[in-house]
Formats: sequence, C-alpha cells, structure tokens
Amino acid sequence: MSMSTASKRSKGLTLTDILVTIVISVVFGLIYKIWGPMYDLLKPLGLHAEQLSYGMWFMAGTFAFLLIRKPGAAILAEVSAAAIEAFLGGSWGISTLWYGLFQGLGAELFFALFLYRKAGPVVAVLASLGSATASIFIDRHYGYIDQLAFWNYALFISMRLLGSLVIAGLFAWALARALERTGVVNLLRPASAKDYDALGN
Amino acid sequence: MNLTFPHRQTWLHRVNPAHKLMVSALLFVLVLFTHNLNVMILLTAAALLPLLFTGHPPLRLLLYASPFLLLFVSSASGMMMFGTGDTVWFRYGLIRISEESFYRGLHLGFRSLQVAAVGLTFALTTRPVALFYSLMQQLRLPARYAYSFLAAFNMLPLLAGEFLILRQSLQIRGRRPRGLKGYYERLRMYAIPLLAQCIRRAHRTAAAMEAKRFGSGSGVRTYYYRYSFTGADVWYAGYIVLSSVLAWQLGQIGPFTSAIDVR
Repeated sequence: MSMSTASKRSKGLTLTDILVTIVISVVFGLIYKIWGPMYDLLKPLGLHAEQLSYGMWFMAGTFAFLLIRKPGAAILAEVSAAAIEAFLGGSWGISTLWYGLFQGLGAELFFALFLYRKAGPVVAVLASLGSATASIFIDRHYGYIDQLAFWNYALFISMRLLGSLVIAGLFAWALARALERTGVVNLLRPASAKDYDALGN
Repeated sequence: MNLTFPHRQTWLHRVNPAHKLMVSALLFVLVLFTHNLNVMILLTAAALLPLLFTGHPPLRLLLYASPFLLLFVSSASGMMMFGTGDTVWFRYGLIRISEESFYRGLHLGFRSLQVAAVGLTFALTTRPVALFYSLMQQLRLPARYAYSFLAAFNMLPLLAGEFLILRQSLQIRGRRPRGLKGYYERLRMYAIPLLAQCIRRAHRTAAAMEAKRFGSGSGVRTYYYRYSFTGADVWYAGYIVLSSVLAWQLGQIGPFTSAIDVR
C-alpha cells in the first residue's frame, strides 16, 4: 500500500504543481504591483524605511516552495510573479524579470542545500536572505548603492535583510502553515510512504 | 498587459512579442553597463519616444506615465543626499550633496525613467495571449507553462469576485477588527480563504488540462494563432540598435553635462 502511494508522487514539477505555482504567483504579482507606489512614496526620505518592505517582493518564491516542496518551484514562482508585475505595467518594467530570476535563484539555492527536504522556519528565513542577497547584487550595479555614505549603505543592507527575513521568511512560513491547516495542501502533497510508515503497520 | 481601453493598433503591436520581450530585457543589461550620464539621458529619450507610437491617446499616456515623476524623484533623491563625493555643494546635518552624488542621483533617475518607459511600451502593445503563443513558437517554451499562465490570467476575475463575496460575508457578520493586531487579523481572514480557494481551483483546472493532454510534452502541437517575424520586427530592431549606438556615440561628446563617469 505504502509503495503504490509513494511512487505516484513525481519528483519534477507536474502540470498541477506548475498551475498552482503560477496561480499563486498571479496573486503575488498583483501585490507586487500595488507594493511599488507605496515603496516609492517612502523612498525619497533616503533613510531606507522602504527597505523594510522590500521583502514582500521575495515572498512568492519562498511561499510557493513551502507549499509545493519540489525543485524549481521557487524560481518559477518568483519569475512568474515578476512577469505578472511587468504585464500590469509595474514601474520597473521588464527589469523585474531579471530581479525575479536572480531572487528565485537565491532562494532556490538554500532549498537545494537542504536537498528540498526541509521546509521549516529556518530554511525559509535562509532562502529569504538568499533572495535579498541576489537583489542586493543587482542593485549594486543598477543603483550604485555601494557609493552611498557608509552609514547609509549599511542601513540600506540591514533594513533589506531584516525586512526579507520577517516578510519572505517568517511571514511566508506562517502563512504556508496556516494554509496547511485548512487541508487544501493535501491536494498537492498526498500522503507519502513515510507517513504510512509512521502509522506503524 | 494590453489594457482593455480602446486604442489604435500600431506597428509596435505587430512586432513579434517574444522578440520584443528579449530586446526589452537586453536593454536593461545595456542600461546596467551605462555609466555615462549623457548616454543615459539620450537612451532615456530613445525609450520615451516609442510611447508616442503605442496607439493610445496622449492624455491617457500622460496618466499612465504619471508615476514616472515620483519614480524619478524617489530614485534620484536618496543618492543625491547621501551619496559619496568630494566637491561638496550643500551640507545640512546628515544630508551632504556633492557634485558627484548629484550627478549620480540624476543618472539613477534617468535610469529608472528608461526602464519604466521600456516596460510601459511593452505592456501597452503586447497581449498576454500573443506573448505566450509566441514564446511557445519562437522560444520553445513548454506548452504546460504557457497554458498555465493563460489559465491563471483567466482566474483573475474569478478571484476578484471571490474577494468581494468574502468582504460582504465578513461585513454581514460584523467582523471589523481594529488596530495593528486587527490589521494582521484582517489580513489572515482574507489571505487564507482566498489562497486556499486559488489552490483548489488551480488543482481542478489542472486535472481538466491533464485530461486534454496539456501536461505531456510529446507530440507536435498545432496553434490557433501563428506568430512569425515581419517587417515590423526589422523596423523595431533597427530603431533599437540605431538609437542605442547613436546615444552611445553622441554621449561621448557630451551635449548636456560634464559628468562622464558617475561611478
């Protein structure tokens, strides 16, 4: 019994996984678009309060992985959400696709590091920091952020890391766990052989 | 997204969508390696010009472009006030505007203008359906990804409907939590049912798509819409290449400022 149930679960992304990931990304793409003007309003202050909110733009990747738990889910979600944002005429245009790709890779790296087996708060936070690091890498070239006065640069980086840790890490994890309690995630991750073994028969 | 307001179809609509996407993405890389303010201003002008040929009336274009001003200010001001530089012009507390940081800030402002203009031109002249069909045909994007995107797009109105129902049902129960904790509570009350419903719906749609063999990568697919390259693609590629080379060359002579390298 346990074997037949377990073997049905494919390792790669199935059509269901892809569609669920993309539909979730559409929701996040909408949020990403709305987030833009808000971020821009805070930004002219120059004191990087807006960086605390930046983590929202990494959330699709971590959140989708925590639900799907397969290789590629984080990248797909992050690129898709970025694509939706670009379609909706987001103020960063097509460049969001590059950001999405790198941020997705940054998150994916940490999920891969744990062989896609861990989906707890620690790995979620690490993945969110991976996304943040990837985004800072592009911003160093795009925004010359390393040419800010040192205190300002340090403030920028710590605010962004803190924001992504809280939003894309902890909040995404809490949201995914709350969704699991609704039982809807069982559609995506049917019981595995390990679950049956745990029953002890 | 091709916003649903009526507008004329122009030659920009006829450019192959996958081609337009690739060029727009590469323009960002070009901007990333542009450190000369003169070149950047010229590139921005070259990116703003095609907006006039999107077939939308000027007043509506101004409306779409209204966030650009905020974008420019927000991108420029931080670097201007807090950037590094030797020739100090103004100092007040932590604010320290120098010649170098001022020009670097301007550069960032024009950069974001260019990126936004390219993105808006793309969004105003490309239908999602056309883009995904073209991605499948020209760039061999697997059908299960492309059709998943299109299915997801069609779920947007349903989602909006569900949001309204949810809001009404919460109103009728008089649930209106206040304060910071209430804000989180409200977020939870909306996000969880909406996302759960999204997953259920996507799962059902996927089952239907699987039954119609959208999931398998095998076999030759036929397409209702066919996309290929036309004369419009030659014009588009020609404009982008010519304007970029011209901006790059003219910028070295420096029609606007003396700032050559803002790094």
